[in-house]
Amino acid sequence: MDLRKLLDNKEFVYLDGAMGTMLFDKGLKMGEIPELCSIDRPEWIIDIHKQYIAAGSDIIYSNTFGANRFKLSRSCKSVDEVIGASIACAREAAKGSSVLVALDVGPIGQLLEPAGTLSFEEAYDIYKEVVMAGSEADLIVFETMTDLLELKAAVLAAKENSDKPIITTMTFEQNGRTFTGCSVSAMAYTLEGLGVDALGVNCSLGPKELMPIVKELSAVTTLPIVMKPNAGLPDTITGEYAVSAEEFASLMTELIPLGIKLVGGCCGTSPAFIAALSAEFADKKYVTPKRELNSACCTPAKTVIIDQPRVIGERINPTGKKRFKEALMNNDIDYILSQAIEQLHAGADILDVNVGLPGIDEKDMMVRVVKALQEVVDLPLQLDSTNPEVIEAGLRVYNGKAIVNSVNGEEKSLASVLPLVKKYGASVVGLCLDENGIPKTAAERFAIAERIVSRAEALGIHRRNVFVDCLTLTASAEQEGVMETLNALERVRKELGCQTVLGVSNISFGLPAREIVNSNFLTMALTKGLTLPIINPNIDAMMQSVRSYKLLACYDVGSVDFIAHYGNSTPAVKAPEQTASLDLPYAVANGLKGEGARITRELLKDKEAMEIINTLLIPALDKIGSDFETGKIFLPQLIQSAGVAQSCFEVIKEHLAASGAASESKGKIILATVKGDVHDIGKNIVKVLLENYGYEVIDLGKDVDCQLVVDTAREQNVKLVGLSALMTTTLPSMEKTIKLLRENNIDCKVMVGGAVLTPDYAEMIGADYYAKDAKESCDIAKLVFGR
Amino acid sequence: MKLERINTELAVRYMGGSGRDITSLMPLISECEKLLLEAAAPAYIFKHFAITGTDEGISLDGTDLVLTGSSIEKHLEGCESCILLCATLSSSVDRLIKTLSVSDIAASYVVDCMASASIEDICDAAEQEMKQKLPDKHFTWRFSPGYGDLPLSVQGKLLDVMNAGKRIGLSVTDSDMMIPSKSVTAVIGVSGRELNRQTRSCLDCNMYESCDYRKGGDRCGSQETS
Repeated sequence: MDLRKLLDNKEFVYLDGAMGTMLFDKGLKMGEIPELCSIDRPEWIIDIHKQYIAAGSDIIYSNTFGANRFKLSRSCKSVDEVIGASIACAREAAKGSSVLVALDVGPIGQLLEPAGTLSFEEAYDIYKEVVMAGSEADLIVFETMTDLLELKAAVLAAKENSDKPIITTMTFEQNGRTFTGCSVSAMAYTLEGLGVDALGVNCSLGPKELMPIVKELSAVTTLPIVMKPNAGLPDTITGEYAVSAEEFASLMTELIPLGIKLVGGCCGTSPAFIAALSAEFADKKYVTPKRELNSACCTPAKTVIIDQPRVIGERINPTGKKRFKEALMNNDIDYILSQAIEQLHAGADILDVNVGLPGIDEKDMMVRVVKALQEVVDLPLQLDSTNPEVIEAGLRVYNGKAIVNSVNGEEKSLASVLPLVKKYGASVVGLCLDENGIPKTAAERFAIAERIVSRAEALGIHRRNVFVDCLTLTASAEQEGVMETLNALERVRKELGCQTVLGVSNISFGLPAREIVNSNFLTMALTKGLTLPIINPNIDAMMQSVRSYKLLACYDVGSVDFIAHYGNSTPAVKAPEQTASLDLPYAVANGLKGEGARITRELLKDKEAMEIINTLLIPALDKIGSDFETGKIFLPQLIQSAGVAQSCFEVIKEHLAASGAASESKGKIILATVKGDVHDIGKNIVKVLLENYGYEVIDLGKDVDCQLVVDTAREQNVKLVGLSALMTTTLPSMEKTIKLLRENNIDCKVMVGGAVLTPDYAEMIGADYYAKDAKESCDIAKLVFGR
Repeated sequence: MKLERINTELAVRYMGGSGRDITSLMPLISECEKLLLEAAAPAYIFKHFAITGTDEGISLDGTDLVLTGSSIEKHLEGCESCILLCATLSSSVDRLIKTLSVSDIAASYVVDCMASASIEDICDAAEQEMKQKLPDKHFTWRFSPGYGDLPLSVQGKLLDVMNAGKRIGLSVTDSDMMIPSKSVTAVIGVSGRELNRQTRSCLDCNMYESCDYRKGGDRCGSQETS
């Protein structure tokens, strides 16, 4: 018997109940490692398994929940030993029965980046070791997961290193989210995409409290649903669970109409609960749930259901953008992030990400940008590259269900891209072109779309995950082609039922008043059935078209969204009288970010960039700095001013990049929050200030390896390194970093800062300077670079 | 649970702004307040343990956790039991602070300070609940790993005993840093008898040497006993 047969043959599959609760009853102390019992007290474990089997369990979970390299590090046992012994106990208990043994795997116990310090790749390795050690099991269960990315690493480790069926369950709180903010729908879309065999929820709450969560889940998945709740909620003082076995079983039957298929218990449950469950469920029938399956893409916190037009922001792309190219060349990830946040605020639902540029390692950049973007924005991403290797690298670390841009009708493209889409459970944009280029007629493009869809379906990619792009041609060059595009799009939508994508801006290339053409073409396309326009959401006219269309086509019911955006808009005339009196120093001093950027733009019309910097911005910053030193203003005000200056400098940089001039740098400075430390707010403040003063900051981020600091300093010939640490426990890595710099004879000065540092300590660990605050770090830079 | 309000006064003190004119910051502060209230999903758990003095230190019954050092011994003097408390503002707050550090660094800093103030409020709420549940008992103030000579390295074990990872999503890195970062663990002594109301002094704090408030003649505000 295997899991798949079990699911086919039985109305319900019975899992087991708690292991930990049973072990505490047997005398395990809180804080001890329960998995070691499989070696020290195998009779306990075998007995518990046997009790569950006697109670009716079809599948028992091995005593391996925390048997990973990280959690076992404070024992003297290896992963192999513990898992081997645990599976042997389960096998022993199941001997002579058809009961299946599941390799039970819980979270690693350390958080993944970006919240924690564990990388995706390390997490994968840890799970790979567990999966390989559990080769004697019949199936693999990942449970009590709260981080979708960690679960993805686990599932990939299982899929790539075994052929066993996989069950996954995550743990949700009453707000419908896991602790790391993952929603039920994000779990469902991501894991069904990755190809697990069953999925559901366990732990945290009782069956009653989990009702709304299961309801949400059953609407969005076609997979068998697993339900393994706690015995209600624990008492805060005693930790005892309140729900009885009978009550538990009867509450569980209320979930049958929602389509639960595999049932068991988690914390606070015992064999009595499983016995009660199997008795209560014995005469019940499995119910196939009602589902509304839609095209969707997601991140843990945001699921975008494509049941109406959704905007894909096009700005993360170097094509034709000098400032963006410069950012890619200089590893200026923050600039790319700012482009993402701007589009988010403008109303984008999804962000296209293209980082292809000759001279850079596109694969490495894609991985870094995907990770960095997912740390700060919740919008789903569309990974855009012509290179399948880049696509795969991005898909691997992407947290959620992504969109791949793109595949086309060419055999080579179909054969290399579609398997990736399938493996990582993404959606894909299918371009209506092939070996012979872009066909002229709607009929020919439709034929390519059909071909892409049928190839996708042959691989098991449902057509709701294929988004067809009928390709916008330039109206000035091929005017009669415009309607061909729209007619093809209309057919794809109606006859294939696929979502449709269109890059809109291309339509007006070479024409005057492009916005007018773009926004009207967009409206035409929307009425023909365009669901995924790729546009620049920062241009008001484009979002106005989208929002008006959604209002008129009855997607924006009650015009709520439209009114929220345009309800208060008095005619967009700026009040020049008021702004006339504002000058740049005033804007900087008063934290007026938007004003600062606007005035800078005005000034650039007839002033040189350097003149603005030297006669206006720097004096304004100096004034703020001395106000801070004399106590006239305090830190948040200083930072606020620095933030305004930053936006002014960004305008200047953009201006310089467009005119082909390079920004002048007073010197390169490395900033890093040391290894083991993830508190980097201080470092980020220092960075903004240093950049304001014209230094080029190489921000290595947080939790930075000592060697990376040394290598970067050497390669880029950096004269000043700034290190920050917040905790006493991470000061040793600061010391180590300085030592390594000295040992490697790197000719640089080191300044250090952070809450627990003192000037004495700084001196003791060999730093050249101690900076008590962000302002002082600028003074130190001035000293080091002499300007 | 929800974060109901933010102790702006304490947050401003954390920003170094005690007694300053904060008028120009008010728009930023109210914006940040809104963001933080929206983002925070605070949670706490606590559990009551009988304690036994051993050669190694103070052992919590039914666990393999031993609290070492003279500071915790002094703290629990006259107590027959203690409560372990774990509280967090949630990872969504860390994320908010990070996102703002890209788009608006000043807001990032202000939210950071507000979050530090708020986690104290969450701990206060937890203490209120303890007092309701154990009306006849007397409590000490909250003593956290890292204070005095109670090592920070006990953090991981303490979280394990409380099963804090599973119950409120609280974990610790190799360098004993808690994640989510706006989190607190604490030991609160419990006694049937009136306790000598020890006051938490700056001397108990692991920031004693480097504290900016103290240098400026101010206090961070966590000295008062409750």
